[in-house]
Amino acid sequence: MREITVQALLDHGKDTLKLKVLAGESFLGRKVQETAMNRPGLALTGFFTYFAHQRLQIFGLAELTYLKNLSVEERRSRLEALFKRQIPGVVLTRNRRATREMLELAAAYRVPVLRTSMVTMDFVNACTVMMDELTTPTKRVQGTTLELMGIGVLMRGDPGIGKSETALALIERGYSLVSDDVTECRRTSRGRVLCWANNVTRYHMEIRGLGIIHVPSLFGVSAIRRQTELDLVIDLTVPTGEEDRTGVAQETVDILGVNVPLITLPVRSGRDMANIVEVAALNQKLKELGHDAAKELDDKIIDRLSGVGRGRR
Amino acid sequence: MGAGELSRELKVENEYGIHARPAALIVKEAGRFSAEIYLEKDGNRVSCKSIMGLMTVEGFPGSRVRVSASGADAEAALDALEALFVAKFHES
Repeated sequence: MREITVQALLDHGKDTLKLKVLAGESFLGRKVQETAMNRPGLALTGFFTYFAHQRLQIFGLAELTYLKNLSVEERRSRLEALFKRQIPGVVLTRNRRATREMLELAAAYRVPVLRTSMVTMDFVNACTVMMDELTTPTKRVQGTTLELMGIGVLMRGDPGIGKSETALALIERGYSLVSDDVTECRRTSRGRVLCWANNVTRYHMEIRGLGIIHVPSLFGVSAIRRQTELDLVIDLTVPTGEEDRTGVAQETVDILGVNVPLITLPVRSGRDMANIVEVAALNQKLKELGHDAAKELDDKIIDRLSGVGRGRR
Repeated sequence: MGAGELSRELKVENEYGIHARPAALIVKEAGRFSAEIYLEKDGNRVSCKSIMGLMTVEGFPGSRVRVSASGADAEAALDALEALFVAKFHES
């Protein structure tokens, strides 16, 4: 897992998290060691067993109203018990102001205090997604990524083997380009690989003999996708004669610890690669669907058989 | 970064850095060799035979990049690419 700091959340969540620093600006480098958030209600009552001190502490309406009903001394001591436990940071939701004790404790215990204009639930949801994005492993892969009817396909192969040309033919058939030649990958919390393009070259392609083209200008916005989940990797190779002719053995390739189905396609001149990639993607979809359907049907049959068996007894 | 890989640090000395035209020249030069050639900057490693790859490394003027090659003609490939960098991609 990559480490994140409170500063990283502030930077990346400029538009989505609506965070503002109230105190402890110099301590934004604090690391958030658990990518979940904690509402410290019980901790504020003095109960610290199982207190999730490694998480960002979220003060919502309930916590702040509770604090308000305490005497100044009481409030300070309850908050101090929390702040001194090395928490990574405090976020107040609904644009609430920090109490004076909070500001003082922030400096004393080197804890950043922030606020957001969002309501607690929305903030927790958005921040969870953001933390996930910032902490899961990423990798840059040499290859062209397309989406065919919801199926993410990454085509790899030596330079000049025809990745971009095949992609172009598929775009002409109505499928969508995600990235050409350079694909950024990230493993999601659901154990899938998410693919997208580099910011600079996004939606551009380089076609030998033509040069650089801008795909949405030529084919419209339906010809592009910002990102896709990877379902299939296709390696375009020079024919060796050793290729799998049955398709029974399902090979996989490890990308960021995820096993992605892999098909190796030999490229021969005159072979319509776009057509084959299209069929490979469809076949992959069928495999995924077919597998589930068969299992469901099997479960149903087993269920019925055991029912019939019991009835006879 | 395997065994038998040669590498050199090169400096981007032309006026605008590695934009489309220099990238195309690098690809053209690299394409003359059978060696696998990569360019690396700030942890980004891309093939020297990919224009799209080269344009993502942000090779701004004055920056240093590491070019590495492996294969039979690796040495010659590095010589050719170094000459290209030194010639500032033939920009006048």
